[in-house]
Amino acid sequence: MKHVRVVEPWIEDPLVRFVTEAGARLTLIMTPAGQVLAQHGFTRAVDVMAAAALGAAIVSSTREIATTIGEGAFRALNHQGVQHGIFLAEMSTPRGPLLALVVYGSESSVGLVQLFYEDLVQDLIAACPNQEPTKPVIAADFERDLHKSLASLFGR
Amino acid sequence: MTAELAGNPDSLVFLELGEALRRRGQLYAAAKAAVAGLERHPRLADSHDLYARILVDMGHLQQAYDEWQATVELDPRHRGAHKGLGFLCYRWGDLDGALEHLELAVAADPMDQSVVQALRMVRDAAAELTEVVEEPQQSLFQGLDGADHGMLLFDTRGRVLGGGMSNQLGEDVSKDVAAYVSGGCQEADRSSRILELGDWHWMVVEGVGGSMHVSRSESDTLLLVARDGSVPSGRLAVLADRAAEVALQWLEAQQP
Amino acid sequence: MSEQFKQALDGITRVRGVRGALLVTDDDGLVIADAVMEGVRGDAVAALAASLSARMARATVGAGVGEQNFLQLQAEHGTLLTMPAPNGVLVVVLAEKDVNVGLVRLEMLRAVEAVK
Repeated sequence: MKHVRVVEPWIEDPLVRFVTEAGARLTLIMTPAGQVLAQHGFTRAVDVMAAAALGAAIVSSTREIATTIGEGAFRALNHQGVQHGIFLAEMSTPRGPLLALVVYGSESSVGLVQLFYEDLVQDLIAACPNQEPTKPVIAADFERDLHKSLASLFGR
Repeated sequence: MTAELAGNPDSLVFLELGEALRRRGQLYAAAKAAVAGLERHPRLADSHDLYARILVDMGHLQQAYDEWQATVELDPRHRGAHKGLGFLCYRWGDLDGALEHLELAVAADPMDQSVVQALRMVRDAAAELTEVVEEPQQSLFQGLDGADHGMLLFDTRGRVLGGGMSNQLGEDVSKDVAAYVSGGCQEADRSSRILELGDWHWMVVEGVGGSMHVSRSESDTLLLVARDGSVPSGRLAVLADRAAEVALQWLEAQQP
Repeated sequence: MSEQFKQALDGITRVRGVRGALLVTDDDGLVIADAVMEGVRGDAVAALAASLSARMARATVGAGVGEQNFLQLQAEHGTLLTMPAPNGVLVVVLAEKDVNVGLVRLEMLRAVEAVK
């Protein structure tokens, strides 16, 4: 079984299935603002925060490029390195848009990650509870929520 | 790192700090950092893994074993813990235990060469111990063409049960080939399931120098028959059927 | 899809029992061109076939059989065939279990030529 950590429990089962089938080495599920809802494979909070911030920024800047060229939105991005690849994609759920950042190695491929990502999206939509009413965010709440999230993500 | 930890005792930087101290040989300081980290993060698998490595360096092997067991309870696929447990089992002469843990470590990261080498070493050691019974295993396919160099029976985890496989240089490649093919068979399982093809029965792979026929038996073992290019695929299939019958009889004879 | 690829795939799909033929990148498992029947998930066939071919490639080299040039997976309800082509391409065919594999192979070889 793959070891994942989640802030919201409904994400766990779909994410476990995804990382097992896709053979992902690292995975983040987050909001477009970079708030992490689930992670797999990371051992340091600072790495999670950095990856989330950078991933959200890449998606955001790519969205701007898409707008500039008249494209609605890019479905997914893939960066292929020598030993690893990074896959980034945005999905719509009843809880709003979410981003997935997936790092995979040579034992997997972008084809496999994309294949099982489609299943992940469907599973998350099916498991997603009804949307919570939005509340205004203030700095103190944000700080507290961030620490609470990090605690969940690292099993404290 | 020490300053960061002092400023934020909950920081996970203790993992890096503990490892750096361990590598520098400052084991007491490393242990102190690890224990402090464990108190704050008892459910973090890497905390236990770090402490286990320090304990090994200090010579407290049983304690290290307990810490790595705790690690795999938190993260069943933790490569470092399985590697450590494999090492300790080997050290204590428990080759089966060493094999089990190192195979799990390889499954978690097939690209880690240190684990692949350790696994090879343990398998060689296990083979030496069973040398006395090696002959009966090799005669599993006795009488069939290519019995000891082109026919291999192994389980779904890649462990050889009988027969043998040699490469073109005559070197025994049974263990490596069993490991690779069992991995391929796992992918075949998944492909058949997702593409809704039902259970797969056999696979033929043709190469520039010959062909391989892989089939699975009812008892969840795998049979590989390989031949050079002079053997047509139809004949290979016939050879494989004969070998499968022999393998089935042998497996039934092994039942208590 | 280029006309050349289309013709190559059409040749394969004309064999009775073939449910889909694809040209796939061998390392990424992505579809380059496909001709598949309704209900066949081309992206899934592509990704899984490429992964299977890659995993078995190590075994063929290790067993002294040399570089892979054909793979057939025979299952209860169908068969999956792969054949490497130049330039990192894999020809993949999904077919009924009793398809004439010899005929399919011939057409796959023609597809390999078309990719060169």
